[in-house]
Amino acid sequence: MKEKVLEVINMIRVAKNLPLVESVTDNTRLREDLDLTSFDMAELTVRIEDEYGIDIFETGLVNTIGEIYAKLQK
Amino acid sequence: MNILVTGCSRGVGLEICRVLLEQGHTVYGVARSCPQEFKDLQTQYPGRLQYKSVDLSDSEHVRENVFGDFVTNKVQLDGFVNNAALAYDDIVSNINLDRLKGMYEVNVFSPMVMTKYAIRNMLLHHTKGSIVHISSISVHTGYKGLAMYASSKGALEAFSKNTAREWGSLGIRSNVVVPGFMPTAMSATLTDEQRAKIYARTSLKDATSVRSVAETVAYLLSEKAASITGQNIHVDNGTI
Repeated sequence: MKEKVLEVINMIRVAKNLPLVESVTDNTRLREDLDLTSFDMAELTVRIEDEYGIDIFETGLVNTIGEIYAKLQK
Repeated sequence: MNILVTGCSRGVGLEICRVLLEQGHTVYGVARSCPQEFKDLQTQYPGRLQYKSVDLSDSEHVRENVFGDFVTNKVQLDGFVNNAALAYDDIVSNINLDRLKGMYEVNVFSPMVMTKYAIRNMLLHHTKGSIVHISSISVHTGYKGLAMYASSKGALEAFSKNTAREWGSLGIRSNVVVPGFMPTAMSATLTDEQRAKIYARTSLKDATSVRSVAETVAYLLSEKAASITGQNIHVDNGTI
């Protein structure tokens, strides 16, 4: 699951001409550290939902990678 | 193109399906019922007119009912036509809250939820899709008895304008077609005298052509309208 999240993040970053990130931690911030905009995060949500059937934004915004993991582990 | 059309079984919705099928597109239609005229269209265009019976008054389940097993993520959606609507005709002093809420479910809440998932489908496939809402001339020219109905369509017009602004940077467009009065089931309760009065308020002195409305919707869905977004296009015989 963690590999898939990283893969999706890199897919979005590549489309924005940003360099690939090799790893993320629970504390990595989506906006500040990964340069994701609200539209990028919308795409992230859609791609994760397509894979796992879970809408990570359903109950409010997520800010860090750790919060995504938590929603997917519920 | 793959186009999702609500209220597909009769009136303007049926005509929109017909025009899109003539142009070679695949249509995913939802409506409560599936009358013979719609089935005839399915026979005429085998495999290109998909249908699911959905009650849009249930906005809580519209996501699973429409996008769960019908327009899934496997379908790359190019366009969404929000046409289904419920008329609630009464004077303001008679407002019934349950009927008002029921109308807002069909005319506003379900369309907004469907727009959410249509955009999500477009995001997944990186589609520069087109959304078209069907409004009503009653938003712009008041008519006795239509205040509640017009308010729901006014909400859609505002929603469309802001959707256009919000998603334009991804190439997703949103527009509204504003038809004048048409001879469809929705206006069936009007008397001949009322109709004559309404048509007299138009420049062309006649009922709005259902075909013209459907052709305009198809145009807004197409690449020909690539630079048109956030607009309300009046197809109303020049209603004054």
